[in-house]
Amino acid sequence: MNIQHAWLAAWNSPYLGLFLTLLSFQLGLWVFRKSQQKPWLHPVMVSVVMLCLIVWLTDLSFERYMSSAKVLSDLLGPVIVALAIPLYENLRSVRRYWLPFVLANVLGGTVTILVAVGALWLLGGSSDVVQSMWTKSITTAFALQIAPGIGAIPAIAAAIIMFTGIFGAIMAPALFRLCGITAPMAQGASLGICAHAVGTSKALELGSEQGAFAALSMSFMGILCALTLPVLLG
Amino acid sequence: MLYGLIVLFGYLLLGEFVAALFAWPVPGSVLGMLLLFATLVVRDRVSPELNASSKGLLPYLPLFIVPASVGIVNYVDLLEQQGLIILLAMLVSLAIGIPVCGWVAQWAIKRIKGGSL
Repeated sequence: MNIQHAWLAAWNSPYLGLFLTLLSFQLGLWVFRKSQQKPWLHPVMVSVVMLCLIVWLTDLSFERYMSSAKVLSDLLGPVIVALAIPLYENLRSVRRYWLPFVLANVLGGTVTILVAVGALWLLGGSSDVVQSMWTKSITTAFALQIAPGIGAIPAIAAAIIMFTGIFGAIMAPALFRLCGITAPMAQGASLGICAHAVGTSKALELGSEQGAFAALSMSFMGILCALTLPVLLG
Repeated sequence: MLYGLIVLFGYLLLGEFVAALFAWPVPGSVLGMLLLFATLVVRDRVSPELNASSKGLLPYLPLFIVPASVGIVNYVDLLEQQGLIILLAMLVSLAIGIPVCGWVAQWAIKRIKGGSL
């Protein structure tokens, strides 16, 4: 028996990256629950930080990690298609407010994206980073689908979206108080548009109506941007 | 479960087919989602099998974005140079965007519902 040899065989297995991803994500879920759902301890954040540290500190290269974990990225396609089901189920709640909802998404979404892209451009961001900023108001799953087509860097887009979601969820309650935004539908839409998935968990904490509209805004912005950005910027 | 997965992959391929047919540069997955959504609206029901697959997959949506996000390890230099301005642009956009989205929604609710929130 050779323990070192056996250990190396497991470490070099093509399943290692996949296993580490599943394990770190489960740990992330656990940390998130233990922390009473602090936005900056989002499961994706915790999982990605752990995996980055492993790639940095060990001889597991990013290329070898990705060749193993890629199967998860490939499953994003059918998972996005599955979003049609909650969208259909949430449709009832939007019927009453469909016009304010669409206006908030189209006008508010345009403002928040243009401010971010414009500010980064003025501050001297390089063109591939500025292109990545265009995806800031869509959930990562959608952004990863359109990033290559618009000259954005997928990993930079994913990082921008993660941090926008976290800061948005942290800043939103105070901004709502400061600016007199009290209607549950308005709070939900704003969180969904500006802070997508992390914002939607925050919206669910504020109330079920906020949660439903945040989830709807996230899907609506995702569809809107996925259909328009590749045409406008491609 | 299997039936639901066949439907999801079927609509994904249909979306890619439609995007290629009309030479639209949009992701096939998003078109597939819209086509499935349209089908559900027309039929006005979700089959239990499709519902089971969706309920099984969607809670793990964040897991599927993890590998691509780890790609950030390849951009440490870029973040050292531009991380601060990215952060600044992000915060400015949130400080303006969150109130604007809320105001637009509230203004529209008031105008359309005659003053009552």
